[in-house]
Amino acid sequence: MNIYSEIRLLAKSVRSQNLFTAAKEISSLQLFRNKFDLSAIQELYISYLYIYENINRDIIIDKISSHVLDCELFEDSYLLWKRKNKKSDKKQESKNEPEKAKDMHLVCGNKIIFPTEVK
Amino acid sequence: MEDRLNEAQKIIDDMSKAVDISKIEDLIKDNKIVFMHKEKEYRVRLLDRGEKEELDMLRRKKFGQLIQDKDILLEKDLRVQYKERGLNIDEIDEAIKKLSAQEVNLQMSLGEAITKNESETIFNNYKEQIEEIRIEKQTKSAQKTILLEFSLENQLLNYVAEIITYLSLDIKTDTGRWVRLFKTIEDFRVYDDNELINTAGVYTMLLQYL
Repeated sequence: MNIYSEIRLLAKSVRSQNLFTAAKEISSLQLFRNKFDLSAIQELYISYLYIYENINRDIIIDKISSHVLDCELFEDSYLLWKRKNKKSDKKQESKNEPEKAKDMHLVCGNKIIFPTEVK
Repeated sequence: MEDRLNEAQKIIDDMSKAVDISKIEDLIKDNKIVFMHKEKEYRVRLLDRGEKEELDMLRRKKFGQLIQDKDILLEKDLRVQYKERGLNIDEIDEAIKKLSAQEVNLQMSLGEAITKNESETIFNNYKEQIEEIRIEKQTKSAQKTILLEFSLENQLLNYVAEIITYLSLDIKTDTGRWVRLFKTIEDFRVYDDNELINTAGVYTMLLQYL
């Protein structure tokens, strides 16, 4: 087994996922001994923790079957499909959306000019 | 009988997975990796600011040496020379790109099949096709790596990896303090325990690059 698969396996484990969820809620709970200066392997592990959290969430809400976890290729393919579909959904949504009143954005500068009248 | 053998194999597989996982846990628990070699304790760690500056200085110095050496070619010049001899690396790049596009398309179809909860036969069919493409891609990438092995860029990368190992390898003293194993680059060059250097090199890569 290569190092990537081993990291994935660890991130996928129930124990790691539970710890990850707990660490997000309890600030004193740390995943690593170091708080800063993450190593490359630690960064990769965190990204896999997020990936498996994402997949597990979709399994829980019955969006997909747990068979997706049978092999890495299924996991990667599902996530790729999901990401690309999300992008095209967003594009479609923004095309179909009627012209809404635009939000007012304030931009830092020398002077902020407010609209004189808001209808 | 066969069922029992399968069960035994599954237990062995699970155990080896558990061992692999605990080894990986050791590698990620800290941004330093401690390991034993010939009954002595060593560690590799991330570089501090001063060491990063030293790395940068050594890298620039090496680049200066390499660029003056007429026998060492830049990747782009090496590509031209290969082309003149009938080996086109740009074509290999193009082939890799095409294979990657095919792989993504197949993965998208597999991803969709997963969401539709289609049959295992369909999943496995996609899986086989993707694996075939991946093997072809790996072969082409390996071919390219071998051809460009002696480019200036690659030599510089290998040198940097060595220097990081030189800078980040510590040994535990009898008093329990961690000190750098090599005081100077010369100490590192003449050091003869290749096994230790290779092990430290692998761990260093896990910390710095991956």
